[in-house]
Amino acid sequence: MTRTLIAALLVITIPAAGQQTTDGWDSDAGPLAVAIPPAGRLVAITNATIMTASHGTINNGTIIIRDGKITAVGPNLTVPQGAEIIDGTGRYVTPGIIDAHSHSMAEGINEGTLSSTAMVRIEDVLIQDRTSIYRQLAGGVTTLNILHGSANAIGGQNAVVKLRWGLPVDSMLFEGAPPGIKFALGENVRRTNNPPRAGQDRRYPFTRMGVEQFIRERFTRAQEYRAAWQAYDAARSNLRRGEAQPIPPRRDLELDALVEVLEGKRLVHAHSYRSDEIYMLLKVAKDFGFRIASLQHVLEGYKVADEIAAAGTGASTFADSWAYKLEAWDAIPFNAALMADRGVRVSINSDSDERARRLYQEAAKAIKYGGASEEEALKMITLNAAWQLGIDDRVGSIDVGKDADLAIFNGHPFSPAARVEMTLIDGRTFFDRQTAPTLDRLMREIEQSKQAVPDSEEGSR
Amino acid sequence: MKSILALVCCAALLPTVGATQDRIVMIRGAHIVPVVGNEIPNGDVIIRGNLIESVGSGLTTPPGATVFDGQGLRLYPGLINSGTTLGLEEIGSVPGGTDTRELGNYNPHNLSLTAVNPHSELIPVTRVNGITSAVTGAGGGLVSGVMTLIDLNGWTTDEMAAVAHLAMRINYPRLPGGRFGGGRRGGGPANPEAVNRQVRELKEYLGRAKTYDETRDRMEAAGETAPTMDLEMEAMRPVMDGRLPVLFEVTTAAQIRGALAIADSFGLKAILAGANEAWVLADSLASLDVPVILGPLTSTPSDDDPYDMIYANPGVLAKAGVRVAFRTNDAAESRNLPYNAALAVAYGMDPEEALRALTIDAATIWGAGDRLGSIEPGKVANLQLTTGDPLDVRTEVRQVFIRGVPIPMTDRHTDLYEEFRARPKP
Repeated sequence: MTRTLIAALLVITIPAAGQQTTDGWDSDAGPLAVAIPPAGRLVAITNATIMTASHGTINNGTIIIRDGKITAVGPNLTVPQGAEIIDGTGRYVTPGIIDAHSHSMAEGINEGTLSSTAMVRIEDVLIQDRTSIYRQLAGGVTTLNILHGSANAIGGQNAVVKLRWGLPVDSMLFEGAPPGIKFALGENVRRTNNPPRAGQDRRYPFTRMGVEQFIRERFTRAQEYRAAWQAYDAARSNLRRGEAQPIPPRRDLELDALVEVLEGKRLVHAHSYRSDEIYMLLKVAKDFGFRIASLQHVLEGYKVADEIAAAGTGASTFADSWAYKLEAWDAIPFNAALMADRGVRVSINSDSDERARRLYQEAAKAIKYGGASEEEALKMITLNAAWQLGIDDRVGSIDVGKDADLAIFNGHPFSPAARVEMTLIDGRTFFDRQTAPTLDRLMREIEQSKQAVPDSEEGSR
Repeated sequence: MKSILALVCCAALLPTVGATQDRIVMIRGAHIVPVVGNEIPNGDVIIRGNLIESVGSGLTTPPGATVFDGQGLRLYPGLINSGTTLGLEEIGSVPGGTDTRELGNYNPHNLSLTAVNPHSELIPVTRVNGITSAVTGAGGGLVSGVMTLIDLNGWTTDEMAAVAHLAMRINYPRLPGGRFGGGRRGGGPANPEAVNRQVRELKEYLGRAKTYDETRDRMEAAGETAPTMDLEMEAMRPVMDGRLPVLFEVTTAAQIRGALAIADSFGLKAILAGANEAWVLADSLASLDVPVILGPLTSTPSDDDPYDMIYANPGVLAKAGVRVAFRTNDAAESRNLPYNAALAVAYGMDPEEALRALTIDAATIWGAGDRLGSIEPGKVANLQLTTGDPLDVRTEVRQVFIRGVPIPMTDRHTDLYEEFRARPKP
């Protein structure tokens, strides 16, 4: 709670500083130095092709942004006086890309020593100045779901961030995003591709049956724990004069998180591959009365798409990765489109700081394989991911009232020559290719330095 | 979505490599992009046996020809993936099916073609996306062995081979992890002295190979036979003669300079692969006529490099006049070859140059420019009939031809798709 408040304060105060930079960073220190973009109070993106992800594409459209929010979008809008204008001629604007599966910024990913580490928090180990943050902005990405790893059945708590590059890490946390947790099934949990070192024991569970029983066991404990707290709360509120205070149950940070899952306050993002394990987890969740928010990877989701849809569970998959391990052998690139056809809300994720840089190219594969529409494919990297993370009231589409998180492309984002020109978060320009450290710029600088010192060696690299 | 044409054709014509001389195929009314020569808006191609017989418009349909209607479609040469491990590995995490790394540092006598599984499930998955040929090879140690160029159809390795002995792969020594985080496949030495030691060792090895080659040349000229045959050194002879090119696997500019120095001092014919920092030396590479195989572009530069360095590198090289080609450098991602080139186009490469790099330029680099890489009479009929630009992810490949054979447009993925698409609602 306190963290969220601090984050909110920072977000409010720092933009007001305009050109000011934080301590130790100097905007003139070179192409990779971090400069905090000034807050855009009133911005208009004009004459652009706007792919809204929610209500089709607007040709020659305008987006008006006031204090970080979209206040108008459409054709033939009047640009308000005093607006900073971004000329969108020839350009395509999409919602900022949302990556529902990332490990970026996390200093540690797996606390895999126990089969449940529901108590650990990715939020505690975020690094704010990783170059990969900037590189993902350069690919149009604005929001990440940073997940714990998949080494154990019940992993740690996630962190949803906006890539407000240059701001302190607390200011990157997505204010108000529902908390979540990573679950995992299959080979990674069984550790079959990572056998124990000499002298180490195998960790239970070692089979898919064991994984089911382990998860059921932890949620049974969570139910009992919740009942103990409820009994305690009831005893306290019914306390009569002269009676001794009841003794509270022992606080358990792991079970606290699992109780939040039971109560629908914490979203489960479950790493999974094979259809049998997906099916198992959906049944377990149903038995305990909670919903799996998203299945991650879910490469065989197409085999049980109806069951996933019926559970109201989202699916966040790779576009076409396959064959890298046995449980990825039945992966097909038609997975995303086929699940969507069956009524599942599908997103396409990266699970990689590299792939995150070109998620728009990955999304286009849902059109190629299975015939998704362009808007459906765009939703897979924007609105559907936002829905899976419970933040679709804030981001994921270009609609009035939403945060002005936008990617501006040089042309159609699914075309071969697609390149991100600008990335905005809350209406502030966090990436602009005009001022970015490109290879072209470096080569020009090398050329200039050679002219300045006639005897210098070529390239100096 | 699925073209009726493709379905009908596949049912009628399963691949029949072998008995090919009497097979006649005609593709009629397609927009032909021959890569070499002008585009033909309403063009026909006649294939007899394995080869393209004629290219034009308004050609007469030969009797007995199987006709493919190309109306509204585009005909391109099949693409060449200039670096894969196709056929050498199946499922990444399953060691039993992975033949990509021999033990030991020196295996010049290893022939990659030997271990290519013609029936790998990954081969159909790759070719249905318009990739008709691939360089494949093992990559372990310092001298990994002889890479091979295969066409992606055939019952045996020899039937698939386009150029069986293509190039000798040498991994130029490097620090583990490289500058670009590519350490997963590497496993090089642990410190700079060890790198220098490996470079020295490599030079000594080449020196030994040179002496062996010269000695054997002299003996053969004198009609003498060797008392014992050294298979390893025998395998190095075509390299030392400059007949078999060396593919130097490099990343940094320093490695490129090192590789070029070795090639110069031993008179080797060099091809560079990887080469993320080749832009530094673009003019030198152009004047030395050293080709560069780029990719995968789906990797990230090191922290202090420009964010778009790997995407922009191919365009800089092409503009400087360096002959370039693309690769995916793995097996399962091989189908995504054209989208590597698309990233290069997005960051400055001319689209026509990119298409050439996937076709005729690749073929020329690999010494097969007279047979592959363009739609011209007399060339091998490796073709793809598509709905659009192969670099565009949204493009559908409707029909692939490999050595004139219309390939079934199905694979493991389409089979599973059809199976589960038909699953009744529970």
